[in-house]
Amino acid sequence: MSISNDSEFKSALNRLTPVQQRMVAARFTENVLSLCEDPRVVAAVNAAKRPDISEAELSVVFQAAKTASVETYTQCGKEADWRNQAGHFVAKAALLCVTPPERAGNLAWSAAMNARMARTCETIANDQGTENREAEQQYRVLTELLNQ
Amino acid sequence: MTASLEKGINVLKEVIDAPIASFFASCVHCGLCAEACLFYTESGDPKYTPIHKLEPLRRVYEQEYTLLGRIKKRLNLSRPLTDEELGQWRELVYDSCTLCGRCSLVCPVGNDIVYMIRRLREGMAVAGHAPEGVIGATKRTVEIGSPMGVRWPAVAAQIKHIEADTGLEVPVDKEGAEYMILLSSMEIINFPEYLGAIAKIMKQAGKTWTLCSDAFEATNSGIQIGVSDIARVIVSRIVNGAERLKVKTVVSPECGHAYTALRWEGPNLIGRPYTFEVLHILEVLDQFRAQGLLKTEGFEETRLTFHDPCQIVRRGGVIEPQRNLLKMVAKDFVEMSDPGKYNWCCGGGGGVSANEDAEALRLIAFKRKKAQLEETGAKTLVTACANCRIVLEEGLEHYQMDMPVVGLTELIAEHLVKSDTAAKEAAAQGA
Repeated sequence: MSISNDSEFKSALNRLTPVQQRMVAARFTENVLSLCEDPRVVAAVNAAKRPDISEAELSVVFQAAKTASVETYTQCGKEADWRNQAGHFVAKAALLCVTPPERAGNLAWSAAMNARMARTCETIANDQGTENREAEQQYRVLTELLNQ
Repeated sequence: MTASLEKGINVLKEVIDAPIASFFASCVHCGLCAEACLFYTESGDPKYTPIHKLEPLRRVYEQEYTLLGRIKKRLNLSRPLTDEELGQWRELVYDSCTLCGRCSLVCPVGNDIVYMIRRLREGMAVAGHAPEGVIGATKRTVEIGSPMGVRWPAVAAQIKHIEADTGLEVPVDKEGAEYMILLSSMEIINFPEYLGAIAKIMKQAGKTWTLCSDAFEATNSGIQIGVSDIARVIVSRIVNGAERLKVKTVVSPECGHAYTALRWEGPNLIGRPYTFEVLHILEVLDQFRAQGLLKTEGFEETRLTFHDPCQIVRRGGVIEPQRNLLKMVAKDFVEMSDPGKYNWCCGGGGGVSANEDAEALRLIAFKRKKAQLEETGAKTLVTACANCRIVLEEGLEHYQMDMPVVGLTELIAEHLVKSDTAAKEAAAQGA
């Protein structure tokens, strides 16, 4: 199986179980994790990769990731620092990875979108425009997972 | 006297118009405005009494425009305003006033204290006493078009993500569209899902819409800092964009002061009526609802409450649309105490959230909102202002309250009927 566009990507993600969604969301987020050094975000991604994580553990890492996500907002009227903003989108993606399924919807897709936004912020911060290959990277990650 | 102080005092003399003179003359010193201000009620410090915040302006009024004051001035019996005093007043004029207007609402003699604060800010800004954060935001708005320095390529990148997410086109610079959608930089940076919600709603409603590449930003920091010339430049940019694209309606986003600046003050700022209508997004959605163009399915399962953004409700007059919309998607909607036009501010409006000096005080003021929320027993908080949303999230986080905060436009979009048939039915009902 090969995924080459968003339509196929979204359909494939929709077919995953909640646990699979969480794990693939963690892989998407891991791909942009270098853009965020916050240990709470890293912990959330690592927790999401564990298929045996308990609800209690999930609740703790969720709360910590939520705090990280709120703390990294760019406030109204403040100058956008695109590198920090990349970190915010990584935090949001990580938060989705550990969000209880009933509150998250298609969390893998949402995490993928936030990871792409993080990458776009990075390229803006580096004066490299807004084009990047994050979507294609995500297609490859999902294809590999589905072909295992 | 320094040159900037002299200029500032001259501006204060100029801004004292007939309404301001009558407001000062009418004040009965009742103190009701203190009880209406969350900075006073939550801190207990009388210096935060709204009318007291206007003391520099009152002194200029007294010394320049009252008989007794002029005699005292001539006899050197009055104390001239100093640069140091204006510096001390900065906290009162900028850090502890969100321009929420609750004080104006309760004033028994009808004094518009917010209007006076804004005029005082004009003099403060010229005298060099506006906070750095607000000055920076204003400069960026004039030079770049966004208070947060967001340029069009960043908007275009978000559009691309939104189009991928929704599978819908986000039209740009479409001449003759019915609606021109404005955004706040906050929505571009922090809440891009708002634009996705707009795309879905417009699709279902069957309306034509567009963004304008040279007038996408709705916020007006000229209003916040208190400089009318800058406010005029910002409004003119939107007016030019809307007239170039020949749109019928310009839609203010989920931002409070952007709405009042554009709808209620804009024509006065540019000195002529608009050739288009200005509506808040909640008004547009409520019109769609009334016309049967907004068809939703399902209800939120948890108890919801709604935070009324001051500028939309109290200063803007949009009160019922959000309640009509919430009824479409919530079975257990509960009002906070003092709902609608009497609602308490989040504590971060009027440039306060962009002002780092104000952060500690803002969190003290948030205790009022915390108490309001606790009374409701709500599990989810809905609002319709991106700035309120972040201030609320930060306050909830600070006080360790686990309560998701969601934008009303997004909430409605989440509940739109999924099938094309239902949407067509809705359109047919509205026709």
